[in-house]
Amino acid sequence: MSAARRRVAITGIGLVTPVGLDVASTWDAVIAGRGGIRPIESFDAGGFPVRIAGEVRGLAEDRLPLPRRVAKLAGRYHRFALAAAAEALADAAIVPSTSDPERWGCVVGSGMLGVAYDDLADFQRRHAPAGELVTGGLLSEGAASADPVAFCRSHALGGLALLLRAFGIRGPSSSVHTACASGGQALGTALRLVRSGRADRALAGGFDSMVTPVGLAGFCLLGALSTDNDEPDRASRPFDRTRNGFVLGEGAGFLVLEEWERACARGARIHAELAGDGSSLSSYRITDSHPSGDGPIQAMRAALRDAGVAAAEVGYVNAHGTSTPMNDRSECAAIRAVFGPPPDGPWVSSTKALLGHAIAAAGAIEAAITALALHHGVLPANANLSERDPDCDVRLVLGESRREPVRVALSNSFGFGGSNSSLVLRAVENAA
Amino acid sequence: MTPRRVAVTGIGAITACGISVDAAWAGVTSRTSALGPITRWDVTGWPRRIAGEVVPFDARALVADRKLHKYLRRRDFFGLYAADQAIDDSAVLAPRQALDAAARERFSDRSAVWVGSGGGSYADQYDFLPALAGSAGDAAAFARAVESSVTPMWLLQSLPNNVLCHVGIRHDLKGPNGCFTSHSVSGIGAIAAGAASITDGDADRAVVVAHDAPVEPEVIARYHALGLLSAEQVRPFDTRRDGTVLGEGAGALVLEHAEEARARGARVLGEILGSGQAAEDGGLLDVREDGDAVARAIGAALEDAALTPDDVGMIVAHANGTRASDASEARALARVFGADGPPITGFKWAFGHLLAGSGAVESALALCALRARVVPAIPTLREPDEAAAGLAICRRAVEPRTDVALVVSRGFAGTAAALLLRAPARW
Repeated sequence: MSAARRRVAITGIGLVTPVGLDVASTWDAVIAGRGGIRPIESFDAGGFPVRIAGEVRGLAEDRLPLPRRVAKLAGRYHRFALAAAAEALADAAIVPSTSDPERWGCVVGSGMLGVAYDDLADFQRRHAPAGELVTGGLLSEGAASADPVAFCRSHALGGLALLLRAFGIRGPSSSVHTACASGGQALGTALRLVRSGRADRALAGGFDSMVTPVGLAGFCLLGALSTDNDEPDRASRPFDRTRNGFVLGEGAGFLVLEEWERACARGARIHAELAGDGSSLSSYRITDSHPSGDGPIQAMRAALRDAGVAAAEVGYVNAHGTSTPMNDRSECAAIRAVFGPPPDGPWVSSTKALLGHAIAAAGAIEAAITALALHHGVLPANANLSERDPDCDVRLVLGESRREPVRVALSNSFGFGGSNSSLVLRAVENAA
Repeated sequence: MTPRRVAVTGIGAITACGISVDAAWAGVTSRTSALGPITRWDVTGWPRRIAGEVVPFDARALVADRKLHKYLRRRDFFGLYAADQAIDDSAVLAPRQALDAAARERFSDRSAVWVGSGGGSYADQYDFLPALAGSAGDAAAFARAVESSVTPMWLLQSLPNNVLCHVGIRHDLKGPNGCFTSHSVSGIGAIAAGAASITDGDADRAVVVAHDAPVEPEVIARYHALGLLSAEQVRPFDTRRDGTVLGEGAGALVLEHAEEARARGARVLGEILGSGQAAEDGGLLDVREDGDAVARAIGAALEDAALTPDDVGMIVAHANGTRASDASEARALARVFGADGPPITGFKWAFGHLLAGSGAVESALALCALRARVVPAIPTLREPDEAAAGLAICRRAVEPRTDVALVVSRGFAGTAAALLLRAPARW
């Protein structure tokens, strides 16, 4: 690698999560150990074996950076994305449409066709009264399929289109979907976009909500979720011996990425450097990596190599840490393989105990939290961890969040389908 | 350090023209399209009744491993099949057999997989219609009905990254990877990412596959409601064009670090020279009349490849046959290439618009065109649109003017992508 390689600064952060509708409230909750997992309120989940999730509550319409006639094109998770992206840009104090919009890229982790439950129920009443699709009616006058607004809301690129339109972005833009690794891979893709010179700045992140009757049904059928309905606050407990599945979350996380010199030249405040991106494919099973950590190991090593940092420099890993028996075991084995067993190795914590698992958004939300941890010199604790699993023998942050200046941190995201994403973030010298 | 170059050593395709690249090439060099009446549901009375379906669809012939079928949807069969074909065509995995265990692991870790995917179909959700019908709007009743009426595999069948997952498992590929769900620019996006994995030094080879199966009732109904579909055929750049026709299938390419390909004596089909992407900010469905994003994507690709417009020998245009896209694309091509530009063709008239799959199939066919030294004609083009005046759009097959081909894709959200390919040496 040449010495002249462009560096990439994180100059803006935006978050919409179950514990807060912006960065400040989310960060306060994360370091205080206040969780957002509750009985599901947005629909009647009474018939499901799982009735708890981390839901985003109370996002006001006026947070949407679009006129009302355009805002109606935004589904639930698009609203999270628009609010988080607007916060990230305001935080970075830059407006794409007036700062060389053709040199701005946009990469989102999400991009899956999604029909809202109410729209699907309406479709069923009109076009499948007995449960089987009656194709003839699809072209009739007033058919659900004739509504372009519903089309835009359901389309895999609906969210990307709204972001480009809301902020006037006109450079290289794409949508990536590798399930739970999507958010991390979107940031990695954007990092490479800016580093390679294809763009000078990028708005990048992830958004998702599977907390819907269909989404919840899909995960319940698979048996992947914790059924601890009576103790929502304790249901997600990564690395605990008694963990029994993950808890769904939802939300959005966005970062503003800028080529380093440009960020400095305009006097931007730099939260951290996005220094490396590594990805690997486990190619083991659809839903799991090998217990040895094979797969995640390569992703972390690739990210370190990409960032040009040694394993010993890493002080913190924001783990994927889903609270499923298999993930946490495999991930801890991988962390030990890359960094060595305790007392060596970085501090490790998973914030999914508090936020739940936001699926395609998780990697972006957690990379944002990792950047904040570097910026503030505070590492979030593993909430709900009372009986440490002997198979999860890494240097877990126990009890309360820990004041610990760290120079380099990793954010891990591993997806169904076997994609593993690891990002390296580096603290800014002499930062707060 | 000299830059690492990227060779294409294998290609695969499945389209309405047939289940091979040769069949697709025969299709685009013929005078007749493979578009035909939709067979998958009763289209009697539908104002739009044609598509580029893969007929017959023989799941077992496409993916022999029956155990895998319960995880796959129609679109995934196309993707896995095309990937297998490209891998076989390249013999890229053959050298792994001779390696010891450690070297085999390294080989797998240095093998990337990049996919372009449609991001799901409406029909995926239909698995829940019986439960909805039985629960009359009661979410709790819906929940109970789901348990007995929907397969536990539903979520795994619905993953947009399904092909990525299973190509990896089947062929033990474990390197850099990703899955683009960027509508019709997904294919070129995946090729560009695969090439970058190699030039960045993160991988030595990449399997790239882009697949889609948009020929389903609700997509036809919705695209028709938006005025995007033709009643008869795709007539790119023609004054009488009235829309596109959807097709299904997949395309795949095997990319390799050119040095390694040479060292193992691989047959090289071409080289990836560069790529570029851009977007407009008008929303999901709008395109600018001047084709701005297309022009900028091509400009970025030329810059990436350190080429000038004069170096381009032929263009595979997006050419989807819709009013707005073709006119604006023609203006963009005129803006970049001026009056004396290279011959332009398009392939969607022959097998339809594969959406997420289109960029990979059309890039594979661009390599066929360079190899055959033929820029195929667009037989459905009779009278070029005013916007295309002065462009060398092929109504007869001609020879490429250099060994470089440009492939253009456009997607919703105003996205555009351009890819530059070169024929092998001794062209």
